[in-house]
Amino acid sequence: MEAAELKAKLKGQIIEYLNLLDFTVEDIADDDQLFGPKFGLDSIDALELSVLLEREYGIKLTDPAEGRKVLVTVDTMAEYILANQTAA
Amino acid sequence: MGRIVVTGIGVISAIGNNASENHSSLQKGNTGIGKAQFLNSKYANELLFGEVKLSNKEMLASLGNSVVSGMSRTELLAFTAFKEAVNDAGLSDTELSDFDTALLSATTVGGMVETEAIHADANTNTTPSPFVNSYRSGAHTLQLAKAFGLRGYTDTMNTACSSSANSIMLGARMIKAGKCKRAIVGGVDSLAKYTVNGFNSLQIFSDEITRPFDANRKGLNLGEGAAYLVLEREEDAVKKTIYGEIRGYGNSNDAYHPSSMSPEAVGVRGAMNGALQTAGLKPSDIIYVNAHGTGTENNDYTEVHGMQQIFDTVPPYISTKSFTGHTLAASGAIEAVYSLLSIKHQEIYPSLNWQTPMPEFNSKPQTEFVANAKVEHVLSNSFGFGGNCSSLILSKV
Amino acid sequence: MFIKDLTCISPQRTFEGDFFQSEPVIYTGSQLIAIEPAYESIPNSQLRRMGKSNRMATGAAMPLLQKYKTDGIIIGTTDGGMEDCHRFLNQIIQYQEGTLTPTNFVQGSPSSPAGGLALMSANSGYNNTHSNKGLSFENCLMDADLLFIEARAKSLLVGCVEEISQAQHRIETLAGYIKKEDVSSDKLYSSKTPGAVNGEGAAMFVVEAKNDNALAEIVDFDMISYPSREDLLTKADALLKRNGLTTDDVDALMLGFSGDVNTDNWYHGFAKDLFPQTGILSFKNLFGETPSASAFATWFAAQLVSGKPVPEMTFQRWSSRELKTILIYNHYQGNQHGFVLVRKPAPSIPQRGK
Repeated sequence: MEAAELKAKLKGQIIEYLNLLDFTVEDIADDDQLFGPKFGLDSIDALELSVLLEREYGIKLTDPAEGRKVLVTVDTMAEYILANQTAA
Repeated sequence: MGRIVVTGIGVISAIGNNASENHSSLQKGNTGIGKAQFLNSKYANELLFGEVKLSNKEMLASLGNSVVSGMSRTELLAFTAFKEAVNDAGLSDTELSDFDTALLSATTVGGMVETEAIHADANTNTTPSPFVNSYRSGAHTLQLAKAFGLRGYTDTMNTACSSSANSIMLGARMIKAGKCKRAIVGGVDSLAKYTVNGFNSLQIFSDEITRPFDANRKGLNLGEGAAYLVLEREEDAVKKTIYGEIRGYGNSNDAYHPSSMSPEAVGVRGAMNGALQTAGLKPSDIIYVNAHGTGTENNDYTEVHGMQQIFDTVPPYISTKSFTGHTLAASGAIEAVYSLLSIKHQEIYPSLNWQTPMPEFNSKPQTEFVANAKVEHVLSNSFGFGGNCSSLILSKV
Repeated sequence: MFIKDLTCISPQRTFEGDFFQSEPVIYTGSQLIAIEPAYESIPNSQLRRMGKSNRMATGAAMPLLQKYKTDGIIIGTTDGGMEDCHRFLNQIIQYQEGTLTPTNFVQGSPSSPAGGLALMSANSGYNNTHSNKGLSFENCLMDADLLFIEARAKSLLVGCVEEISQAQHRIETLAGYIKKEDVSSDKLYSSKTPGAVNGEGAAMFVVEAKNDNALAEIVDFDMISYPSREDLLTKADALLKRNGLTTDDVDALMLGFSGDVNTDNWYHGFAKDLFPQTGILSFKNLFGETPSASAFATWFAAQLVSGKPVPEMTFQRWSSRELKTILIYNHYQGNQHGFVLVRKPAPSIPQRGK
């Protein structure tokens, strides 16, 4: 999958998993800090995002430290998915 | 109005099936945490649990004729501890069925422990499973009322992990206000696939034995159990064994996050301050703290931080969850029973598995058993999801 | 204690609508679904996670918490986020205890509405959740009453919320507590079949220790489980006596008739034994059955003693008396029985100006 296509898909999935009512795919920039003030996300959302990675991409984030590096922006998540993806 | 005293206790946990077995394990420093034998979950072999060492069948058998049909593990645990407590207090059938006898219990998982049955009843069954009346919150309280002929006030609280501290608190308050003469108070939770997976989804389990207040703590071990206390007015208990009094209680909400606690320890401080105020005690009167001490990063930091705000010198503190695992809605009552045992026997139990001080604090838990201690006042903390913080002060009479 | 203000989200137009000026909404079937507002008082950042009971509790309570300073929050709910609970349960089975989403687990806890309200209103005061099937509301009243007696609170947010979850609805139907056939809610009491119809919603109250232009007074309450018919009368009689009242002081009974042929006889017997002439009102043909039914009854009774017109379909036995004192008697599935005595408050004594 192309990175751009993946990122668009990922944004849709983030909105769906976290039920972000105020945001559309267009509102999320690739480099927006997911845990910055814009989205108001917290630690439970981080766990929801790891469920997303596992269910949608077959990637299991087990180490919290690794999670903190991956779940930063759509860019970092996409990069990690491309490097580790085992299932689509 | 005289004091509210405890005239009976009953407890079942991973370290014993009654108060005397629990007491002996506490003195010896024997933890009950290990592999689960009865839990029906894929994690039964992967993680460590504080499981009660009796099967449902064994509990059923020992309950004899007080059993009603379709009892979940939650109800079996509750019945076991309840029966011990009312027998210990010597409550007669007439006293039990008095309009002035209240029952205040607590649970989080309740009958949801019967995961397969509930799923089948909700989806495929055409005739109900035997557990159909057990699932909803309050079911075990109702079963207790029915089986023991209680006709007074009943209540079931659910403030997550602080639930049974609140049932003890409310029972004491009811007696104080003259709303009832005596109250049987406590709580129960059983190890359940539902909660195991819930806490696992929050990633707060330790994959090794829990280390409360250790710098390298990795989370909690889930436990199960039940405990009940019989509360009476001191003037009604003249010829009875008195374990101690419910001297103070505080309840405050942290108002910070659905599943973690504020770094400022707002609720934690509110609960402890409230307990000291109702008890009419100074912080320096507290001999030791039976801490909530779940062994999670967030709890243990916040709790010690909160204690440092309240106490000029933080008194010794222990987490008996290192023995029992985290028994959720039962923990407040189980830990109140342990506090009463320590008051009765004038001793302090150790906190297990601690090795390394937390870097943020110049403080460590009490890790040695202390016999011949002078235990006047014990502060017992219970904190739950949703910001629910409660503290009790149990005192020598 | 005194009801200063109240809100209600229910299957009727009780929140935004004109419930007392219009015909009640009639439902066919065994589920009376709440009419939910747009929830303008809840930020989307919070709303996004909320299941229905959290949404209804917050939607009903937040306007009150924004308007009044309260010293604590006491919520009654038996099922809490039951739909979330079952979603989580289904995930456990579907993903064979794999990686699961924690939101359903956290939201599914009955303590979630009270915790959420504390968070949203930054209320670090007393906070408790009673989850005791059919007596949860009476439990909230006890808790609140004690805080007032102890002078630890002057004003509290007290209320109940229940949601219909489809899984729990099937379980209750299987157990025989819900009607298997479709009935029209205006003909609920002539159904003569087993089971009730399911309801949902949130009824929230600001209660105060003192009468400061209150809408209604909750004079007293009581409860009993598994009573004999005689126990029930003893309790009701004692409740009236300790408040200096006789049966004749009760202008109307509000009884929890649910249309369940197996358990409605409790109400018939109670009225016959103690109140043979008194007017009788019902409420479950408007709101359905929930474990927190008496909270909806209290909302309704408070409105009636404050002068709202009585919807015709709630009269089970007509009475011309002005409704100043209403005794609510409700039981849940025949096992848990509760009383709430609601009265029109005396005009509050004006505070002398300073």
